[in-house]
Amino acid sequence: MSFLAPLAFAFAASIPVVIVFYLLKRKRVVKLVSSTLLWQKFLADTQASAPFQKLRKNWLLYLQLLLLALAVLALTRPYFATEAKPAQLRVVILDGSASMQATDESPARFEKARAEALKWVDSLEPTDQMIVLLAGANTEVKQSATSEKAALRRVLQSAAPADSPTRLVPALKMAESLVRDRRSAEIHLFSDGAISELSEFELKALPLIFHKVGQRADNLGITALDVRANPEDATQRAIYANVVNVASNTLSTDLELYFQGLGGESRQLLETRPLTVPGQQTAPQVFRVSQAKDGVFTVRLTGKDDLAADNEAAIVSLLPKPVNVLLVTRGNRLLEKALRAVANVNLAVANDLTDAGAGFDFVVLDGVTPTDWPSGNVLAFRVVNPNWMESVSSVDGPVIVDWKSTHPLLRYAGFDNVQIVQSLTPARGTPPWAISILEAPQAPLILAGELGRQRLVWVGFDPLESNWPLRVSFPIFIANAVDWLNPASAKSAQLLVKAGDPFRLALAEPVKSAEVKLPDGKSTTLNFEGANELVFGDTAKQGVYHLRAGTNEVTFCANLLDANESDIRPRDELKFGEYTRVEATTVQRTNMELWRTLAAIGLVVLLFEWWWYHRRTV
Amino acid sequence: MSKLLTPELLRYLEQFQLLAARRAKSSSKGERRSRARGQSVEFADHRSYVPGDDFRYLDWNLFGRLDRLFLKLYEEERELPVRIFLDASESMTFGEPRKFDFARQVAAAIGYVALCGFDRVSVIPFPNAEARIGGKGEISNIQHPTSNAQQSAIEGALRSVRGKKSSMQFFANLNALAGGGGADLNEALRRGALEARHTGLAIVLSDFLDPAGYEAGLTALVGRGFQVNCVQILAPEELAPSTFGDLRLVDSESGGLQEVTFGRYRMKAYQQTVQNFVQRLREYCTRRGMNFFMAPSNMDLQDLLLKQLRKAEVWG
Repeated sequence: MSFLAPLAFAFAASIPVVIVFYLLKRKRVVKLVSSTLLWQKFLADTQASAPFQKLRKNWLLYLQLLLLALAVLALTRPYFATEAKPAQLRVVILDGSASMQATDESPARFEKARAEALKWVDSLEPTDQMIVLLAGANTEVKQSATSEKAALRRVLQSAAPADSPTRLVPALKMAESLVRDRRSAEIHLFSDGAISELSEFELKALPLIFHKVGQRADNLGITALDVRANPEDATQRAIYANVVNVASNTLSTDLELYFQGLGGESRQLLETRPLTVPGQQTAPQVFRVSQAKDGVFTVRLTGKDDLAADNEAAIVSLLPKPVNVLLVTRGNRLLEKALRAVANVNLAVANDLTDAGAGFDFVVLDGVTPTDWPSGNVLAFRVVNPNWMESVSSVDGPVIVDWKSTHPLLRYAGFDNVQIVQSLTPARGTPPWAISILEAPQAPLILAGELGRQRLVWVGFDPLESNWPLRVSFPIFIANAVDWLNPASAKSAQLLVKAGDPFRLALAEPVKSAEVKLPDGKSTTLNFEGANELVFGDTAKQGVYHLRAGTNEVTFCANLLDANESDIRPRDELKFGEYTRVEATTVQRTNMELWRTLAAIGLVVLLFEWWWYHRRTV
Repeated sequence: MSKLLTPELLRYLEQFQLLAARRAKSSSKGERRSRARGQSVEFADHRSYVPGDDFRYLDWNLFGRLDRLFLKLYEEERELPVRIFLDASESMTFGEPRKFDFARQVAAAIGYVALCGFDRVSVIPFPNAEARIGGKGEISNIQHPTSNAQQSAIEGALRSVRGKKSSMQFFANLNALAGGGGADLNEALRRGALEARHTGLAIVLSDFLDPAGYEAGLTALVGRGFQVNCVQILAPEELAPSTFGDLRLVDSESGGLQEVTFGRYRMKAYQQTVQNFVQRLREYCTRRGMNFFMAPSNMDLQDLLLKQLRKAEVWG
């Protein structure tokens, strides 16, 4: 046993004082009695007449000495060095995501996790070190390796959860690099397990200890929000919201839709819809409203549940503007017809492109290698551009085996019964800027991606050399492509960021500073060194942000909109990679210091002594 | 009438007569049967006539039948000496009501019964007036601020009382008795036993709280041939003390100091101590054929006199 505060042994000097008190005589009440004969058995402990007396056996004295000894011992803060272990490094990862705000633990999951982590701080031995990471949308090193408990406690106390989803993998990678060379290290993850994308992380032999928080999942959450032109009525806007119930029982609530114009006017309630969602089901909802001006639509669940962060989501809706499209072709009536069929498209047709497509929102290259490559977004059919891919090869009769139906380009567009005569494919596989959305066994056939700030859709084959234009998926694909390649829609997509993700804004001319009005009404000012792109990263709180930078004025929304976060069911195990599973630990770290125990025993002794004293006098 | 006993109680007492288990050995005439032959109405025996006998006692009926002369013998009736040992020590002046007052009442009652039965009553208070002068105890009885000389005179008067006529004077003297001083129970009883010319009934009224014990004195009385009745009188305060805490107790007789720490929780232990003390005395008495009575000083006097003493056949 060692002592953290051996100086407190000085308090032992008070022990003789207690003994002196017992050497002094007790003052007694004099009473005349007929005879002391009957009192022989009740002789007191002391019978001397001097002010000091011989010390006699007295249980009260022993109890008080014991009490004092315990108190002094507690003050010296003894502890057991259990084993001669090498200095340990503990990496504490606190899950600071939105789901940790759930109130099924009292007062919240994050508070519980914080309290647990504080216990581990208490149990830190003097040579041990601890690192505190806060894993939200970004991993924040709250405290680098230290043995100083006060600093660790301060850091833990100041940590707060954000409205953002959890990105645990970067935190784990950071922890991995921190513990790599340490022989004795542990990673303590305090989380509810509502974490996505863990399957992409191989745990290897990482000493991860998972501390589970959370008890139940009583939550209705909005997991998706989108606004589009109403396909049935062009004058209206359709707002799609997806409400998920992660509880096992049916929950009822009201779903409210608000609209707020960008001019700074107040929020209007447009519609209230009663909603009953069966357990573990989703309820997609569509609102159709007419919109007269640009503004922000907000959907809100009024019911009270465990997690408030996913009960509200907002989206910026800008009125649609006509899309100017240039089709560069040597004649493709099917393609032209498909483009003209898309609403709101002003189509121009040309044989060649000489001015980089100025004045057009995007350019469609149909098998024509232009004189001047367009600077805007491009939909290219069977075009070879060495900037896009180093080399291409030709494939005869490729068989379509897979397509990414989740990509916005292929929404409602299937490739069943589509045959292709011949197609170009990138010779060295998918280029880094693109993802393949249509695949033959040999190679990708359609690529989509962003090269610089240019959106590209590259189709390797001529539609006329396939039966694709005869399938219904062709006009749908064209319509999707118009939507995806329209810079305005790309811009409006930019106006919706996930909480915690940075908001980026391309600027026509550099600005020095920008002012951002936060959802809680406060304003912050950002200073730049004349950058062309503005990045605002402080989006941890969800809601509507107003940004003003020079002449630009932008409203954007930060939302949680994460099914993984809304699913606040506490997990008993985390799955890493394909095979690894980490079960929640049941180990509760208790204080290894003994002073609390000693103080508690001291209190018991004190109470016993009190009882004993009163028992003999009253 | 007497302050000690109510007239009503006196009327009751007049019906009683002290019962003596043994024949009276007194030389004075009285109303008790004795082994001595003498003049009375109680026939005892016949014996042959020897010349010189009083003719008046010849049994003429026998002479008529047997033609021989027989003399009728009668029992001589003698008195029963009753000695009342009254503890008048300092410790008896405690209690509410005072133990000494209660003892005097009992003494008066027994004395009255004896006087009514033509028995001789001796009240022996101890310590006596001389002993008090010699001892360190002073008379503490402020109700009767009588001098030691007067006390001696009273004690002398109580030495031997006879006849119902004397009862008023007897009560007055008892009433005038004062308590105080330290007593030696053993010594007082032994001396009383030795002094007595004739044995009879002995009543010991005391709290028996004597550090030297009581055994020697009682044994002396029994050994002398007395029929002994012990009445132990204790104050309610002694049976169940009401003062608690850290106490320094002063012995009223010896002046000795004793420090005790006494709490309510120890009451039971204390009462057990008292019970043991009483029980030991009771057993001691019973084993030696003495009657024993335990009387708290707040006890109903009639209960002791009319029930307990009667039941124990001290009188009937």
